[in-house]
Amino acid sequence: MMAKKVLHSLTLNGEEVQVASAAGATLLETLREDLRILSSKRGCNQGVCGACTVLVDGKPVRSCLTLTARCVGHSVQTMEGMDGDQIMATLQRHMVESGGVQCGFCTGGVLISARELLEDNPSPTREAVKTALSGNICRCTGYRTIVDAVCGAAEELSQ
Amino acid sequence: MTEVLSPGTIEEAVAMLAEYGEAMPLSGGATLIAMRNAALVEPSHLVSLDRISDLRGIDRTADGKIRIGAMTRHCETAACAELTGSLYVLRRAAGMIANRVVRNMGTMGGSVANADPAADYLPALACCDAMLEIAGADGRRSLSIHDYIDDWYETALAEGEIITAITLPAPVEAPSTYRKIARVSGDYATASCAMALDPDGQGMRVAIGACGPGPLRDRAGEDALRGKLGEPAAVAEFAGKLVAIADPVDDVRGSAEYRLRLIPRLVSSVLSELTTQKETA
Repeated sequence: MMAKKVLHSLTLNGEEVQVASAAGATLLETLREDLRILSSKRGCNQGVCGACTVLVDGKPVRSCLTLTARCVGHSVQTMEGMDGDQIMATLQRHMVESGGVQCGFCTGGVLISARELLEDNPSPTREAVKTALSGNICRCTGYRTIVDAVCGAAEELSQ
Repeated sequence: MTEVLSPGTIEEAVAMLAEYGEAMPLSGGATLIAMRNAALVEPSHLVSLDRISDLRGIDRTADGKIRIGAMTRHCETAACAELTGSLYVLRRAAGMIANRVVRNMGTMGGSVANADPAADYLPALACCDAMLEIAGADGRRSLSIHDYIDDWYETALAEGEIITAITLPAPVEAPSTYRKIARVSGDYATASCAMALDPDGQGMRVAIGACGPGPLRDRAGEDALRGKLGEPAAVAEFAGKLVAIADPVDDVRGSAEYRLRLIPRLVSSVLSELTTQKETA
C-alpha cells in the first residue's frame, strides 16, 4: 500500500536534503527506499540485529527504530559519509585483513558500533569488544575474526 | 498509516493524546517502533515526546532528591555521576540494558511505561523507593513505584497519561548494585536483583525482577531482617518469602522453576558482595 508522503528536511552525510517519505516512515525506509542509500541493511526490522545502525548527531542508533520525522533538523551519517574518517578507515582495513567480512550484510553496522567503542575506549580488552558488539549479529564469521579486526585496529590507532 | 506529531510542551502532548483516540506517546522508540514494524500496534498518531525540553535532564531538587526526566536515555543514566551510593543500583541497571546502540535510544520513561517485567529499571526503581510523576489531560499526579504495576504489562497509567519524571530519594552513602542473570550480554533478565544496604550496614532493601508481573519486594521482611544480615538462616528465611510471593512464567529465558531457584541464590550472593564492599570501604 502506498502511504501518503510528506517532505522531511535533514542533514545527510553533511548535505542538506529534502526527501519525500511516508509520514510515519522509519529512517531505514527513507534511506533505502527514498534516497537509495544502501549501506544500512534491513535485517530484523526489530532493532535486534544491528545491520541498520547509522549515526544521528554522531551517536549510533538503529535506523529501523528511528522515525524519519524525528531526524528533521538533525544530522544523519551513514557509511557513505565516512570517507576520510581515520578510525573508520583503520577498522575497515583490519576487517579485510583479518577476514572479518564474509557476506558483508552486518559489516556496516559492526563498523559503526566498533567506531563508537574506539572513540570512547581506545584500548579495549577483547571482552570489551565483544560486549560492545553484542548488538550486532553476524551469521557468517563466528565473530572471532571481527574481534581480531577491532583489537588490531585499536592497537594500530594507539601507536 | 501513522501521523507523527511533535508537541513542544507536556500540556500539548497530553492534549493531543486526549484528542486522538488511537494515538500513542513515543519516547525512545526502541520498543514501540519495533512493535509497529511487526504490526503488533497500529497507532493512528505517534505523539513524539523528544522535543519537550521539560522531559529531559537529570537534576537535583532543592531538598536533595534526584529528578530524572522521562526522556533521559539509558546511556545518560548509565553515565550519571550523581547516581552514587544507595542510587548506584539504578546507574548499574541502566548500563546493563541491551547494548550501547539501544542505550543511545531507549528512555527511562518509555521503559517504565512499557512495564516489561523482565526489563531492568523496575526492580532498580523499586529498590530505590522511586516516585513517578505523571501527567494527563486532567492534570498531574505522583505515584509510588510500589503502587504502579497492576498486573502483567498493566500499570496504573490511565489512557492518555504519560510519565514525565522519576524522582529518587537523595543518595546516601551505602553500597548498592544490580545483578542480572541473562542468557547473553544485553538480553532481558531471566531473573534480576537490585539491592542496597542501609547506611549502617544492618539492613537492606531488595527487589527481584522477572519473577512476576512487577518487582518483588517484601518491606516487612526487610524490617524483620535488620540486624541479622550475617545470619545465613535468617537471610534464607527472608529469601523464602520472596519466593513465596513470586509468580514467574516459563519462557525462552528459563522455566518458572529455575527462576524460583535463582531468587535465594541471587539474594545471598548479592548480599555478600555488598557486605564485603561495606567492610572494605
